[in-house]
Amino acid sequence: MAIGLIAACMKRYTHKENPDMHLRGRKHVAAVGGAVAVALLAAACSSSSSSSSSSSSAAASSAPAAASSSPSVSGKINGAGSTFQLTFQQAAISAFKSTDPNITVNYDGVGSGSGRADLYAGTVNYAGSDSTIPTTEQPKLNGKKVLYFPVLIGPITLAYNLPGVSSLKLTPTLISEIFQAKITTWNNSAIAAVNPGVSLPSTPITLAVRSDSSGTTQNFTLFLQDAVGSAWTLGSSSTIKWPSTARAASGNGGVAQAVKSTTGAIGYVDYSTAEASGLTAASIENKAGQFVAPSITAASTAAAGVTIASNLTFHAVWDSTDPTAYPITYQTWDIVYAVQPNATDVSLLKAYLGFVLGSTGQALLEPLHYAPLPSNLDSMAVAQLSQITS
Amino acid sequence: MSITAKAGPAIPAGPAHPLSQRRPLGDRGFQILALSAGLLVLVILVLIAVSMTSQSTTWFTTEGWSGVFSTDWDPAHNIYGAVPFIYGTLITSAIAIIIAFPVSVGIALLLTEVVPRRWSRPIVYVIDLLAVVPSVVWGLWGILILAPWLQSIYQSIASGLTGVPVLSTFFGGQGISGASFFTAGLILAVMITPIVTSLSREVIATVPVIDREGAYALGATRWEMIQGAVWPHSQSGIVGAVLLGLGRAMGETIAVALVIGSSPTITTHLFTTGYSMPSVIANQFGEATVGVFRAALIGMGVLLFVLTIIINLSARAIVGRSVRRAGGE
Amino acid sequence: MMAITTDQQTVDLREPGGWRRTKNQLATVGMWVAFVVMLVPLGFVLVTVVSKGASAISWQFLTNGTLPVNVLPVNYGGMGAAVLGTLEITGFAALMAIPLGVLGGIYINEYGGNHVLARVINFFADVMTGVPSIIMGLFIFTIWVLHFGYSGLAGSFALGCLMLPIVIRSTYEMLKLVPDSLREASYALGATKSRVTVTVTLPAAIGGIVSGSLLAVARAAGETAPLLFTILTVTSTNTNLFSGANTALSAQIFANATQPYTGAQARAWGAALTLIAIAFILMIVARLVTARFARYSE
Repeated sequence: MAIGLIAACMKRYTHKENPDMHLRGRKHVAAVGGAVAVALLAAACSSSSSSSSSSSSAAASSAPAAASSSPSVSGKINGAGSTFQLTFQQAAISAFKSTDPNITVNYDGVGSGSGRADLYAGTVNYAGSDSTIPTTEQPKLNGKKVLYFPVLIGPITLAYNLPGVSSLKLTPTLISEIFQAKITTWNNSAIAAVNPGVSLPSTPITLAVRSDSSGTTQNFTLFLQDAVGSAWTLGSSSTIKWPSTARAASGNGGVAQAVKSTTGAIGYVDYSTAEASGLTAASIENKAGQFVAPSITAASTAAAGVTIASNLTFHAVWDSTDPTAYPITYQTWDIVYAVQPNATDVSLLKAYLGFVLGSTGQALLEPLHYAPLPSNLDSMAVAQLSQITS
Repeated sequence: MSITAKAGPAIPAGPAHPLSQRRPLGDRGFQILALSAGLLVLVILVLIAVSMTSQSTTWFTTEGWSGVFSTDWDPAHNIYGAVPFIYGTLITSAIAIIIAFPVSVGIALLLTEVVPRRWSRPIVYVIDLLAVVPSVVWGLWGILILAPWLQSIYQSIASGLTGVPVLSTFFGGQGISGASFFTAGLILAVMITPIVTSLSREVIATVPVIDREGAYALGATRWEMIQGAVWPHSQSGIVGAVLLGLGRAMGETIAVALVIGSSPTITTHLFTTGYSMPSVIANQFGEATVGVFRAALIGMGVLLFVLTIIINLSARAIVGRSVRRAGGE
Repeated sequence: MMAITTDQQTVDLREPGGWRRTKNQLATVGMWVAFVVMLVPLGFVLVTVVSKGASAISWQFLTNGTLPVNVLPVNYGGMGAAVLGTLEITGFAALMAIPLGVLGGIYINEYGGNHVLARVINFFADVMTGVPSIIMGLFIFTIWVLHFGYSGLAGSFALGCLMLPIVIRSTYEMLKLVPDSLREASYALGATKSRVTVTVTLPAAIGGIVSGSLLAVARAAGETAPLLFTILTVTSTNTNLFSGANTALSAQIFANATQPYTGAQARAWGAALTLIAIAFILMIVARLVTARFARYSE
């Protein structure tokens, strides 16, 4: 290192050759600087391995596995995707650490779209996605089969920030017009008609939407498409071209923060995030014509009786005709390839997913404001675990 | 490395001396080492240009020039037009310059003309403190504290100006948001003030004392002296300083990304959400795993690089010329 | 109150009155207003960061290596991973950029002279100080991360590229101030050029060079954009700088700034206070070094 060279030179040629030079402190500075440099290098090059990394390759390093959920399996698996399941994933990962301390799991909440992209690229073992793989992305699978493991159910809330308005009712038509910027102030007559007795201020409506590729967006827009048909012109996909006055943010958390900090804002946020942020949510009119507030029971009601395909995909938004069902209930899956690169990955995935789908994992959901999977769906999912092979 | 103890002539300093056989190896080695370190600057700049351009070619080939410079940005449908972001960058930087120019020049004049030498040190320290606050902290404060507070102010201004012809195009409109072009411009103005101030000070300091004293001798007040003696000398230098501030404002990423509202729009309404080139790169890069999307973002990085280089080149040239001219007189 | 009469004109030496005086006073007031206008946001930010951050800071906050999930309040876990990341990444970047920058400055001033190459390098080092930090991040992404993955090392490269031109420029400015008489005296004693530079010129300018480098380090420590593309913010401690994604204070603040939970926001304020404190300490040390060691200053 040049600093060392300079330090060495200075030490050799100081006192005797340059008696006039002001030297006090300089040698010490050089010596300390050199020591610090060496120490930094030593610390940096230390071989203590990182405890987690979201971008390492999907292959995990470990000892040979015995049974699929045996504690002797050790290694690391990575997941990425949906921010809807992020809070649950974080809780499950840390609870899983106590049952299986040798397995490290990592989950990065980058949004459903990026999570799926990471799965295609092979940088994660499982992708958290609130929607099934769209047809446009099918070619990226290269013919490989994927397995959908449903994880949880939950409502998408329409969270709003109107001090003084503690309860608000909205119909799908109203939501569709608000989010296409056709209704721009809160005291619009259409909103007032549905909310008799509520004094709505003249505050302009600020839309809070997602800037990243999101399964929550996909399900929210799917709900609008199903409920109002052609009146919703922006389509349904993970990225939408929102009106130009909308304020975009990243992740469910970002939208929640935008709503929380902006008076007059309304945004679509998953229930777990909305509750944890202390946001107020509107009651939405469902298929049976009733206004239902978002809650875990309303979500479970909406999911019960939903038609489940053989690959465990289903469509919970705007589906149920039950009068107490919350209409914007959606779901999220952990998507894995059916065929894994090696037996260790199979065991690791079975161990973690088994935990998530098992009673311990599912018991974590309610305190976090999620609805657990209906029991028939849960059993089907657990049975599907055996389809992960190497 | 031994001292040549002969009585012969010492090896002179000055212009690069041709490496003769008598120079010890260590000496030549050191020179080569220093030269390589210097060349590293050029190498890095060239590599930046080359590597980033090569990574962004798919954007140009897929979209063509009309697609690249279109006003439509829709990644879901593979449309990547850069104009909304170029517009946002220009607008926020313009707001920043318009606000920062009088403030910075005012402070620079304060330091050089009004405040006694002894007191200028603490004021300079305060300005440095402004420079020390990291961009992300400005953004954090901006999005959590400033934007919500400004929203109501913007709202009142906008409703107060409804119907007023010119002003309402800038300060009126629908969709008033605390996170907007103007808030981003405000924070940028605060961030570029230190650099414009310190450069303006340097430029103003080159004004010959004779001219100043001559003005005073003629009975000018301080303000008249500034107008008559300081300004003509330093005006191009200050323009250069402002250009440098502009370059810095255009490249500022994080603070803007947090407070601009993330909505690719082209509008004259400054109190509404917008987007800028560095912000979209920072916000969307994690999303951009598809080829053309990533190429588009890197391509915008190239555009930004070229723009800031051009602005910096002109700024340095102008400042250099003015300082030289003033020094020569 | 005298009027001096010359051949052609009368110069009035009375105090300027009326409008001229008012204009002058207004101008002075305007300048002070400009200063206050600049002070307001500064004060606002510092007061907010200190008041909100101080309640979050604790020994645990600064050292605990587990970054808690966002919903948890601020007394869980801590920012130790980010603090370590910032220190490691910035430290290694300084280790690379400072020696190279000093050598570059030495080249331009001592060896370059009027040579075209030296002037070109000087000019472009100046231009490079104005290149936005996000470009450095993108650059390292394209030439390093795409091939070798995310790591703290990549972050160090990006920050190093940022610091290099600053250190070169400040070294050049400081070396320029060292009087030639020192060099000439050393040459007269028969020293080689490198000897003179290293043992005479450099030590004479070392105060300014160290202080300039410290300011460059302070700037790099606060940078976020270059790290976004190179270290891939993670939530646990990674002591290995050379492999695996890492985290840093600035990246964590950016991630937490868009969270709605009070715990996450409190962590952001605490990290912001830590970062400002680090930058502030470096700035103070730089000033002290200048005051104590710099022999020649402007």
